[in-house]
Amino acid sequence: MVYTVKSPALLIIGILMMAWGWLNASGNIDGIQSSLQASAYKDHLKVKEKFDAELAVATELAKAEGKPAPDMKMPASHFDSAKATQTHMSYYFGGAFVLIGLITLMWKPTEGSLDYFISIVPGIAFILAIAFIVRWGLDPIFGNWGKAAAPTLGWDFAKIFNLNYVVIGIVIGMVIVNVFKIPAWAANGVRTARFFLKTGVILLGTLYSAAELAQLGALSVVMIGIFVLGSVGLVLFMGKRMGSNNSMTAVLSAGMGVCGVSATVAASPVVQAKAEEIAYTIGTILIWGVGCMFLFPTVGHILGMGPVQFGAWAGTGILNSAQVAGAALAFDPKGIETLKVAEIFNITRVLFLPIIVLWLAAWYVKHEEGAEKVNLAQVVVAKFPVFVLGFIAMFALSSAGMFAPAGHYKGKYFSSTEIKEEKLLKGKETKAIEAELTRLREGEGAQAFSKYLADKNVVLEGHKVTADEAYKAMSDLVANKKLSTRQQDSILESVAKLEGLDALAKGSIEKAHKNAYHTSKNIKSYRNWIAWLFAFGLIGLGMQITGKALKQAGGKPLIIGGVVGTLKAVGSLVVVLLFVKEFI
Amino acid sequence: MEAPKFERGTSLSIFVSDRREDFSALIFAFAIAFGVMLLA
Amino acid sequence: MLNTQIILLGHHGTEGAKLAEKLAFDVAVPQQTLIVHLLVVPDLWEGMQGDDWLNNASTRDTFGRYVEGLLEKDAAAQLSALEARCTERNLAYKSIVLVGDPTECFVKTALQEQATLALIGSPRPKGILGYRSGIKLDALVRQLKIPLLIANTAS
Repeated sequence: MVYTVKSPALLIIGILMMAWGWLNASGNIDGIQSSLQASAYKDHLKVKEKFDAELAVATELAKAEGKPAPDMKMPASHFDSAKATQTHMSYYFGGAFVLIGLITLMWKPTEGSLDYFISIVPGIAFILAIAFIVRWGLDPIFGNWGKAAAPTLGWDFAKIFNLNYVVIGIVIGMVIVNVFKIPAWAANGVRTARFFLKTGVILLGTLYSAAELAQLGALSVVMIGIFVLGSVGLVLFMGKRMGSNNSMTAVLSAGMGVCGVSATVAASPVVQAKAEEIAYTIGTILIWGVGCMFLFPTVGHILGMGPVQFGAWAGTGILNSAQVAGAALAFDPKGIETLKVAEIFNITRVLFLPIIVLWLAAWYVKHEEGAEKVNLAQVVVAKFPVFVLGFIAMFALSSAGMFAPAGHYKGKYFSSTEIKEEKLLKGKETKAIEAELTRLREGEGAQAFSKYLADKNVVLEGHKVTADEAYKAMSDLVANKKLSTRQQDSILESVAKLEGLDALAKGSIEKAHKNAYHTSKNIKSYRNWIAWLFAFGLIGLGMQITGKALKQAGGKPLIIGGVVGTLKAVGSLVVVLLFVKEFI
Repeated sequence: MEAPKFERGTSLSIFVSDRREDFSALIFAFAIAFGVMLLA
Repeated sequence: MLNTQIILLGHHGTEGAKLAEKLAFDVAVPQQTLIVHLLVVPDLWEGMQGDDWLNNASTRDTFGRYVEGLLEKDAAAQLSALEARCTERNLAYKSIVLVGDPTECFVKTALQEQATLALIGSPRPKGILGYRSGIKLDALVRQLKIPLLIANTAS
């Protein structure tokens, strides 16, 4: 069949994107952008003020010397680079869409791969256009409203309710599919959402260190082991007590325990569930998952959870993996930290899926006469998601230093040699540290200092840090006006926390620390890519949530699912708050 | 019963099989990773 | 007098549908009436294919085939049972199976088959389980251009 739908839609989207790019490049909408990108604009004003002052001085000097006014260029501010990003993205994508849009209108498609791949583009353009509107428009608008209303309300509603690009994108996707229906010209392409999500997960592999992965992996195995197996067992128990069908109990326990709909889909044929049972169960799981996706981030903000805590909680408590990603990004849309944690939980949970399916199959065989036995190897092979291997491959390559030097994975890295001249400590700052060094070397100061290091149990590379090492770090800092090694940086971090330390000395150590860390350009780009890929995928995910399916929730599955789901969510929240510390 | 809407892929994916989607995602992710590295 | 030449009967084996069937047999004239049996497989299944991206294709295909098999078996059972009952009463019978929104399908079929009378069961009473995808009466009444009979518990 021929897939390409003749429609001017793609051309129009392309033209609109290019128009947006041009408006940004020409500065015609600086007024709007300055309110949308308020903080970047503040930086812009600062840079401009500094530049104007410098220009005035330079012009004065040139005048005095009788030379013509100097030709100086203002350095780019955050505002300029934000506008440049929007311009470039709008031009590249808009240009491509205009081109392909023209082709679709003029060309008479014939069946084949070319037709197939061209027919995908309008759907991609459709989602991307929504992503642009949401990230560049609605997200900052809601942010501004939240800030504006905060003094009257006493709290920032946009922040607490996570009215950021992730949540708004999912909601728009849901509205489109339920109210307007996906347009025919976009139907083929919106199916790329999952592909881009997978790409995002694989790319996420570049952002972990081995230690991080080991710690998170261990934590996720423990949490998921307890809560997934616990809720599967609980549903089986409750189902028996409430007299549900064996098959219904089984699909529901798979759904509430492991990966929501995927698990139900995987388990249904195995336990021969009836059509209505499947409908109730999937409806229940969907409504539960969608509710959690919007509720969890709000609770997380109210309780002031950190990225590791929230990621662990969402990864355990929420059922569908895409909804876990949605909640994690909704909670923390600027950084990828929470998503990083949640994704490890997702992957662990997927690896649990075959175990659960086998358990349920065994359970069903035991409780139902005439049920077929299941082939273990077949289930494991069929259920194993290959893209998890992709994630691991990406992680292996990046920890081998393939994409960015090792140590850059966090986006910030330590480098003494890259500290610029103007970022070195000033004379009075080194003097303040020197004065403290003298005080801490002698008498009472020295005693208190040694005691402080011992009490605090400052450990570095397996041994306790001695006072001499700390003195050396301080005097090196004074001599070099900057930090020289990472080890000294962590020693001085503890020193700066010493009570009674001179405020200027403390501030200077902190300044030196800040100056020694640099942003890794590659990692920053990866983070951007990941954020865009997930935004795209999650808008597509929203387009798969239909009200008709949600409405099917009901009956015993809703009661059992509600009880077990709540227990799991609350139980994992308590465990996370009590035992999980922000250790990474 | 219902006529297949998509001869290729499923209602969730443009790819014929999941394995192919996984591999394509891997290749695309590598393309991004190397692209960023080369352009930086 | 009601024109009962072609009766469009929405029937999916529910309690309401059984009442509708009974009413249809009451008003139908043997050897004259054609009963058009419309069975709609609700499109809610389109939203139940597993919204999750961790599902792989083989799992989903197995699931899809399984659900399709279930629905097909169910539909076939309904069709043959009603056909048998119609033949018993000397009524002509025709079946139509559609996938989609029940209300839209009903209106469309009424027009296509030039039905002279439409017949459905009353909405399911509260508290009884089943798919939440019944006919939207309001929309149906507005769009349907032929008389509509609704079988109720009282009839």
